[in-house]
Amino acid sequence: MLLWIIFACLTAAVAALLILPLARGAEPVADSAEGEAAVYRDQLRELERDKGLGLIGDEEAEYARAEIGRRLIATADKDANAAASPARRRASLVVLAVTVFVPAVGLCLYLALGSPWLPAQPLAARLENPGNNLDLLVAKAERHLALNPNDGSGWDLLAPIYFRTQRMGDAEMAYRNAIRLIGENPERLSGLGETLVAASGGIVTEDARSAFEAAAKLSPQDARVRFYLALALEQAGKNDEARVAFEALAKDAPRGAPWAALVNEHIAKVGGTVIPQLDNNDEAVAAIQSMGADDQQAAIRGMVEALATRMSQEPNNIAGWMQLVRSYAVLGDRQKAGEALANGLKTFPPSSNEGGQLVALGREIGIEAQNTAGEGAKP
Amino acid sequence: MIIEIGHFALVLALAVALILSVVPLIGAARRDSAMMALAPAGSLVLFALVAFSFGVLTWAYVVSDFSVKNVWENSHSMMPLLYKYTGVWGNHEGSMLLWLLIVVLFSALVVMFGKNLPETLKSNVLAVQAWIASAFLFFILLTSNPFLRLNPAPAEGQDLNPILQDFGLAIHPPLLYLGYVGFSVCFSFAVAALIEGRIDAAWARWVRPWTLAAWTFLTAGIAMGSYWAYYELGWGGWWFWDPVENASFMPWLAGTALLHSALVMEKREALKIWTVLLAIMTFSLSLLGTFLVRSGVLTSVHAFATDPSRGIFILGILTLFIGGAFMLFAWRAPRLKSGGLFQPISREGALVLNNLILTVCCATVLTGTLYPLVLETMTGEKISVGAPFFNLTFGLLMVPLLLAVPFGPLLAWKRADLMGAMQRLYAVIGFAFVAGLVLYYIENGGPVMAAAGLAMACYLMLGALADLWYRANFGKLAFNVAWRRLIGLPRSAFGTALAHFGLGVTVLGIIIVSTYETETVLEMKQGATAEAGGYSLVFDGMRHAAGPNYTDDQGHFTISKDGVVVADTWSSKRLYTARRMPTTEAGIVTFWFSQLYVSLGDAMTDGGMVVRIWWKPFILCIWGGCLIMMLGGFVSLSDRRLRVGAPSRKAKVAKPVTPVMEPAE
Amino acid sequence: MTRKQKRLAVIAGGVGFIMAAVLLVMFAFSQSVAYFFMPGDLKTAQISPGTRIRLGGLVEEGSVKRGNGSTVSFVVTDGENTVPVSYTGILPDLFREGQGVVTEGAFDTSHAFVADSVLAKHDENYMPKEVADRLKKDGVWEDGSGKGMAAPKEKSSQEQPAKVETTGATKP
Repeated sequence: MLLWIIFACLTAAVAALLILPLARGAEPVADSAEGEAAVYRDQLRELERDKGLGLIGDEEAEYARAEIGRRLIATADKDANAAASPARRRASLVVLAVTVFVPAVGLCLYLALGSPWLPAQPLAARLENPGNNLDLLVAKAERHLALNPNDGSGWDLLAPIYFRTQRMGDAEMAYRNAIRLIGENPERLSGLGETLVAASGGIVTEDARSAFEAAAKLSPQDARVRFYLALALEQAGKNDEARVAFEALAKDAPRGAPWAALVNEHIAKVGGTVIPQLDNNDEAVAAIQSMGADDQQAAIRGMVEALATRMSQEPNNIAGWMQLVRSYAVLGDRQKAGEALANGLKTFPPSSNEGGQLVALGREIGIEAQNTAGEGAKP
Repeated sequence: MIIEIGHFALVLALAVALILSVVPLIGAARRDSAMMALAPAGSLVLFALVAFSFGVLTWAYVVSDFSVKNVWENSHSMMPLLYKYTGVWGNHEGSMLLWLLIVVLFSALVVMFGKNLPETLKSNVLAVQAWIASAFLFFILLTSNPFLRLNPAPAEGQDLNPILQDFGLAIHPPLLYLGYVGFSVCFSFAVAALIEGRIDAAWARWVRPWTLAAWTFLTAGIAMGSYWAYYELGWGGWWFWDPVENASFMPWLAGTALLHSALVMEKREALKIWTVLLAIMTFSLSLLGTFLVRSGVLTSVHAFATDPSRGIFILGILTLFIGGAFMLFAWRAPRLKSGGLFQPISREGALVLNNLILTVCCATVLTGTLYPLVLETMTGEKISVGAPFFNLTFGLLMVPLLLAVPFGPLLAWKRADLMGAMQRLYAVIGFAFVAGLVLYYIENGGPVMAAAGLAMACYLMLGALADLWYRANFGKLAFNVAWRRLIGLPRSAFGTALAHFGLGVTVLGIIIVSTYETETVLEMKQGATAEAGGYSLVFDGMRHAAGPNYTDDQGHFTISKDGVVVADTWSSKRLYTARRMPTTEAGIVTFWFSQLYVSLGDAMTDGGMVVRIWWKPFILCIWGGCLIMMLGGFVSLSDRRLRVGAPSRKAKVAKPVTPVMEPAE
Repeated sequence: MTRKQKRLAVIAGGVGFIMAAVLLVMFAFSQSVAYFFMPGDLKTAQISPGTRIRLGGLVEEGSVKRGNGSTVSFVVTDGENTVPVSYTGILPDLFREGQGVVTEGAFDTSHAFVADSVLAKHDENYMPKEVADRLKKDGVWEDGSGKGMAAPKEKSSQEQPAKVETTGATKP
């Protein structure tokens, strides 16, 4: 409401300022040639001065004087012709036009273009009261760090958040700062490694590998570190060594580890044989293990299909989506995996936290989101 | 809320501008003082509204209000405060708003300084200014609105283009726009005069200060832009004949011509039609420049993200204003009476020569800039017209003008003695020749043409001094007397001499740099040495550093001469994290007027760096000359003759209108 | 000389100067204008060694190789045809594999393209206009799509990786 009152005041003030000179009424126009005459008189004085200084010759000065004089006389003639025709009625017409036109144009155009319902939102005020907005919390932390760039634990806190929100450049900087300021530890080193891998599209680069190796020195049993080191071997084409590493990792995996499926998938890729884990259902796994190969496949498919059905009914379950995508990938059904990824992303948009995880997963196992026939998201 | 008030103010400004475009014109045609009185009041209101709206946008940048889309796209909460201010015009929408602000600022200045103008002329001028303002207000509101909002507001902005995060952005665009847009006043004066159908020497006197002011700012703006490109882009070049540079250079050439032809018109009432035409052309070229920059039709370093609909809109504005003005000109110009006569050899003759050459040069640049566009539209063939074309044509065509510059001020009005002027310049020519040879010898090597070029630069500088020398009559009068005469010379005489001297300095810089600069590209490992310009550089190695919103790989160089360390510098490759955009920060070391310029290339696998080293002798003269030209402009502007067009109201009443002195006829 | 003769002389001088300027411009055009080619055009066009041209296209992924010192070689492609280019000097900051590029230079006698300038631009999303026009026409590239090009501005700095982006499945 206040906004509209201000608008009204502003419009009124502008209209008033425009009407004021009109309302003063028409006076006869001042002799319009006065300004010109003044210019020429000034030119004459200048001429005298130049002549006095000897800057121009006498003859030249005389010519110039004659010319300026002629112009001066011409202005006097013009004055005689100038006559004003005051017209009250016309002025009041203009007043009317102004009073109608200014508010009309102002309001119409503003209503078409403006967003009157939106308040100003200076960042400082929003940071004072960030609420649950993760972006704002991050921004707040960033500002704190900009002022105290040597606060290592701040960087340490922020780095994984950056990673999750796909800001790999920032995540790398944050991890590096944290390591520089408060020293190496396995989490930071492997976080840095993972960031570098994500930043280069899933490739374990030289930098990333050395980060993981440093982490492995500090914590040789860390599964994440071992996984990426194995992945580096796989990408380097050393399939045998990679298989050994992956298998060792799978063996050490605790029951129901969420990443076990991923490891299995890689074992499959480098030529080993695996049994995928589905849910945390030990009995089912045991049962499957006792079956023959064909039955095994069929049983696993059945379980995956069941999961897919469940997910389509209760899509609000990020862990479920991740498992589904992985499972399809393990089964080698990239089409289905892509569809699952796309469907998951429909519930959790990629800009959200969970969506980010899904996107990262897709990238990790090289699956792209696919439109399901007919029910894909609108383009 | 404040954002929306700023937006509303801009919309209101459009309403006011539309009224201002019509009412004063009718008032002037009918000699209705009430309607004419609307013009000054309305122009001030218009300025207040636009300034307020610009202020609001600036505030949004300073407080990082990311609910404003424009702020979110071009700012970052962690940017240094200066860049938050300058970021306002570091993008399309904001820079158009700045453009508009300057148009209405000039209208307001016309109101403030135009007390001596005839009411009808003033009303018409302000109305034409309001046309321009309306056109750009429409453009801004409909295609480039900086006040569009985002809901919900993002927490962090996308950062300003790193190239623009520099002090240069604080100076270059405002100065350039003050120049570009300042010519709108000349345009408005010309169109107003055509509407009234009469034009005389007084008109020229009123237009001249505006031309001079605009020219001065444009000179400064172009020089600043050139220096900025030189140190920021890391290519070591100071002028690329890039279409956008040409776009600012063409109004400068036309404006320089206008400056000189208005002088003839003021003194002799000659060249009336030509001067009006030039005033229209100058601003048309400014508009063309805006179109070229903003539409993205040309491949250019300034081509940021562009949008075709904007280009079409500006093209519309361009056609409307240029076409309209030229039609008005064709209709009205034959009615204008021509003025005083003069001999070919005279001050007027020299100024006509100046105009001829400057316009032809301007046309050449225009041809080179637009030819690829025209050819592509006609035949579909794509060509590029680069520096070689411009250097050849523009460079050669300018030579006669440079030779004529020292003569001009020495010639008398109406009819002059060329031999007399020549005799006075004998000494100058002799000195210049010797100086050219000496400089050539010092910098030995290089083409013979360089000696001629150097002599010409010296000739220009000495010629400017000779002008003052002869005006004060040193040599003939006693020193004391001559000194007093020198002090007593009008400021505009000093302005002229300074501007011409500055031109000489710039030419000197250009010739020395283009003939004697050396460029070395080599791979350097830690401890390696390179030679440039008689200095030796040692590469001490790299270090990693981090700035507020970037990371930096810096190389350190120690510079020594004859075994003595004289300076050191850091040159770096910078990566701006928010946009993942790399830039090159050259290391520049200044020795007097010369500079060593070191920029880093890529790292080699064996630990070396590719390094590019330039020795740029006398390069600072290029911009120093421009500064002197600018100073000349300001000195001229401070001449009382330009300020005092007419006495105050009181004096007017006291003096009868009849001529004080009867002219001898 | 009479006044009339003088006036004639002045006009003749002015016209002469303008004529000279026009001839100079035409001469300069014939000397220093570089035509623009894409790799595909070079099959049909006969370009003699030493003629300056502009060559535009995309820098082929994986083709950039550093030679001795500051010499770099890379391959310019339009999706089908390729031209190898060598360049000595510092590449512009925004030179990247998969990005658009315009190089200027000439073929040497052994039909290798030697560039003496590689165009650099101010904006990270920049695609040289000639290249963009042609690639759009050939359907190799469209504004803001993937194909190894930089992601459009709105997305480059935040969230949304290009892979998911291209399918359109996730767009609201």
